[in-house]
Amino acid sequence: MAGADGASAALQRRDLCARGIRLAGKMRSDVVDLLEAYAERQGLDASASVAAVEGVPAAAVERWDEQTGTQRLLENLAAYRAFRALLAQMLEEHREQLGEADTALGRALAAVLLQVSAFAYHLEELLRLESRGTPGQEEEEEEEDGPPPQPHGLFEQKLRGLGVLRELAQWAVRSARDLRQLAKPSPAASSAPGPAESP
Amino acid sequence: DSHVQYERVGADVTMKCGSMDWDAAVTWTANGTDIDESHLNGSYLILKNVDLMQSGQYSCYEGSSWHLKYQTYLRVGTPPKEPVLMCRSNNYPKGFYCSWHLPTPTYIPNTFNISVIHGTKEMVCEKDAVPKNRCHIRYLQLFSTVKYKVTLTVTNPLGKNFTTLTFDEFAIVKPDPPESVVAKPVPNNPRRLEVSWQNPSSWPDPESFPLKFFLRYRPLILDQWQHVELSDGTSHTITDAYAGKEYIIQVAAKDNDIGTWSDWSVAVHATPWTEEPKHLTTEAQITETTSASTSSFMAPPTTKICDKGAMVGSGAVAVCWTAGLVVAAYSVLFI
Repeated sequence: MAGADGASAALQRRDLCARGIRLAGKMRSDVVDLLEAYAERQGLDASASVAAVEGVPAAAVERWDEQTGTQRLLENLAAYRAFRALLAQMLEEHREQLGEADTALGRALAAVLLQVSAFAYHLEELLRLESRGTPGQEEEEEEEDGPPPQPHGLFEQKLRGLGVLRELAQWAVRSARDLRQLAKPSPAASSAPGPAESP
Repeated sequence: DSHVQYERVGADVTMKCGSMDWDAAVTWTANGTDIDESHLNGSYLILKNVDLMQSGQYSCYEGSSWHLKYQTYLRVGTPPKEPVLMCRSNNYPKGFYCSWHLPTPTYIPNTFNISVIHGTKEMVCEKDAVPKNRCHIRYLQLFSTVKYKVTLTVTNPLGKNFTTLTFDEFAIVKPDPPESVVAKPVPNNPRRLEVSWQNPSSWPDPESFPLKFFLRYRPLILDQWQHVELSDGTSHTITDAYAGKEYIIQVAAKDNDIGTWSDWSVAVHATPWTEEPKHLTTEAQITETTSASTSSFMAPPTTKICDKGAMVGSGAVAVCWTAGLVVAAYSVLFI
């Protein structure tokens, strides 16, 4: 790879990472507000321990510092695609419960869903940049695993919603950290072989 | 035979002289000093309502032979109260530490046992050599929503107690204060102070986990602090300092995304740059007898302000109109 291309890709990556970090920060702030409003509305304790919910991607990770750049992006992308589906389901349930009444909570849910979609798209762009020169990767296509499992009762729905928002808030913090790692000018940050080391 | 005996403060203690009969003639000593017979019931030593001062070595000797028949070390103390436990991560994302102490001393040896559970997993908290009442844990997972539960049990020969702390990974993150805070005047700028500092050395990776900072400053003569929050960089220029006043300045740090603010750094003092008075040592000697004024507010002493004929008004508020003009002119100049 020519040196200029490598430098340009690095700059692009840094720029995308910086924007992604800002997006993640805003998203986290909105999710935290939404979490509090949601818990209050549903009569739940926002800080109560909720067991791991099926279909909700957990942000918890071991050996986080050893992950490669591509690994980080793939895990983030899978998570946000899942959150997109989960939030869409929550919005649907919310509308079913309240009819078409446009509540503040409904609007906040929709706003967060939009941010999650935007962030997923942003991650796809970063992944395309990282994978440049390695065609045929399945992450270039939408992963459709089917709709998330449907909770049965109303209380289950509420608990699940709490679990979704809590993990999403955690992911937003993790994503900012992941992008900072990615933005570092280090050969270990990417799985693809980089250009010759420049001084 | 010799052993240790633990008793609670306020307890009544009865000591037997080994295998000697109740009616045997014995002498008891406490730390080598004979104990009065009034404390004896037969050969038993009775200590009522013991206090801390009664801790010591108690020995029982057979009456005539002075053979040592029994010896014990009495330690008077209390069972432990609920311990105070604190956990904190000042080196995120490496791990966290927990430290503890008892709110009141027990005066006897205590053993501390700590357990850390994360979900279903039991984690090992490695005890620090120094200080003794502290242990540390490495994070095995990051970004977990599962809470940590830390239980500290304290045990001594008179009883036990415990306390439990439950927290999120993010909630206990609190960096150490910034280090090497320096404040300097800015040449030719009487209202500026340049402040710089460094990340705390215990924070392992400021590049990936950047800190933000909070600066506070005030002149020594005032109580009210000014505050500035800084999202990046380790320096700041104060531009609204009062000229010539000594300032006290401190900085605190926080992870950009999670946790709480550190304690305030060590305070530094600085005074903004002031201009050196130019004519102090030379012309003052020449002009000491003349009317050259050093302050614009004072009229030259030899200048006649007014005479009685020029007075306006009467009584206590009589004002010489010439003086009034002079004062009015200076007032306008300095509004």
